[in-house]
Amino acid sequence: MIEVDHAHKSFGKVHAVRGVSFSVPKGSVVGVLGPNGAGKSTTIRMITGTVPPTRGSVRVDGLDSIDQSLKVRRRLGYLPESNPLYPEMRVADFLAFRARLFGLSGKARKAGVDRAISRCWLDDVRSRRVGQLSKGYRQRVGLAAAMLHDPPVLILDEPTSGLDPAQIAETRQLIRELAGDHTMLIVSHILPEVEKSCDRLLIFARGRIQADGSADDLLRDLAQRQGFAVEVKAANGAPKTSMQAIAHIEQVESDPNGRSGDGWHALRVIVDKAAADPGAVIGGACRELGLTVRSLRPATATLEALYIRLVEQADKATAKVSEQRKPEGEAA
Amino acid sequence: MGATLTVAWREYASFFRSSIGWLVIALYLFLSGLWFAYDSITPGQPASMRALFSVSQWLLLIVAPAISMRLLSEELRSGTIEPLMTAPISDWHIVIGKYLAALAFLITMLLPTLIHVGVIELLASPDYGPILAGYLGLVFVGACYLAVGLFFSSLTRNQIVAFLSTLFFFMLLVFISSPNVAALVDEPFRSLLFGLSINLRIADFAKGVFDTSHAAFFLAFVVLFVVLSVVGVESRRWR
Repeated sequence: MIEVDHAHKSFGKVHAVRGVSFSVPKGSVVGVLGPNGAGKSTTIRMITGTVPPTRGSVRVDGLDSIDQSLKVRRRLGYLPESNPLYPEMRVADFLAFRARLFGLSGKARKAGVDRAISRCWLDDVRSRRVGQLSKGYRQRVGLAAAMLHDPPVLILDEPTSGLDPAQIAETRQLIRELAGDHTMLIVSHILPEVEKSCDRLLIFARGRIQADGSADDLLRDLAQRQGFAVEVKAANGAPKTSMQAIAHIEQVESDPNGRSGDGWHALRVIVDKAAADPGAVIGGACRELGLTVRSLRPATATLEALYIRLVEQADKATAKVSEQRKPEGEAA
Repeated sequence: MGATLTVAWREYASFFRSSIGWLVIALYLFLSGLWFAYDSITPGQPASMRALFSVSQWLLLIVAPAISMRLLSEELRSGTIEPLMTAPISDWHIVIGKYLAALAFLITMLLPTLIHVGVIELLASPDYGPILAGYLGLVFVGACYLAVGLFFSSLTRNQIVAFLSTLFFFMLLVFISSPNVAALVDEPFRSLLFGLSINLRIADFAKGVFDTSHAAFFLAFVVLFVVLSVVGVESRRWR
């Protein structure tokens, strides 16, 4: 439904998005994560056609987002990041205005407005002015405006920002309901939000996609990379070097966070991907080497840990590049 | 057309929900009414509205930029331009809709001054030709001010900047096309400068002369700046 192909966007010397590619199949719900300034919003704006890519292309439903912009916009429901609204308008009037812009008239407009109002729980405030509403209600008005014309694709930029926990839960519920028959892109930096409501995550940092996959896959991958925390006591010799020699064990290092001393060694052990049961491999290795094991547990892999790791990696990579470039007198 | 009118109607209605809309109307009606009472309803004066028209031309120089300054600047400041630009309507719809709304507001503001026509009718028997031409002239000159105001409003998110730029633009135009300044340069530039003068053209309307070349000038002026405003809005997509 959405295909982003090597899209690159620079504003003068600033490269906001550096060659991003991904595709979102019909009906899937994709979460877009990343720190501020990672290129998320610029990527979204390239999809909505407000910012044309400097290089590369963006297609929605097979249509080019620039050349066939009007057709693309008809297929999109978009909730912009700051959810800008006209404060002087009444809720129902505002929604009717948006519906008119999307070419809905007569009965279709009325039906669209009524449906959006009831789906976003706006019945109580339909004749109130937008400017007098609480932030939570305003956010719902923005959501209602995005889904008015029943678009096949919904793009929600920070849909729960500024909401209280009860409203966040309601909005998540709504997103789950909409997920059934819509292709969705949800931008957020609230990790549990995307973890719970998305089938797939894209993690952005420094204008690039650093990770792409389902939350489970990404976490499994991270768990593999983080390995196991093991505490062992050796009768003689250093367990670190002897374990390294065992098949399937890729890397062994001291774990600075573990409890060492008194003859115990806290280690971090990474098993290669070929091993079906990494825990069993480590257990077997300890038995083979005659080590006493006090504890053996997989390092906890959380989305937070993954996110921080990816962002730090991207920052380091960028720092390295600018370090290398400096002697040539080139600014990064 | 539908989308243009949708944008225009929302904008027109929003003038009346903002304090600046009512302030502008009150200011204009108060000052133009004061001038009319002082100048036209005087024994011995001809039964014309020339005084109202000539003072209105200057009042509009302040009032029209105050109407046009928010048209696009406010959308840029609050960010509402983004949902507007992601709706399936072209930038032409947005810009022309905004312009029509401002023009409709200006005409709405002029309507109550028809009371003055009634007052003159009560006191004397006026000639309606010059009055009609005078109103037409006011709408034309207002249309020019609004078009330039719309253009500056498409370039900045700051309403004050849009207001002052428009005011400055017309002050400069009045200055370079004034007889004293235009006389400093040789032909054919002198004729060109005089040709740019809004004052000279509006003076003809106030006298009751309807010249199609003046109408063509104002129309071309408006079209030019509406097109430039579309370019101003479109440039946001490329910046």
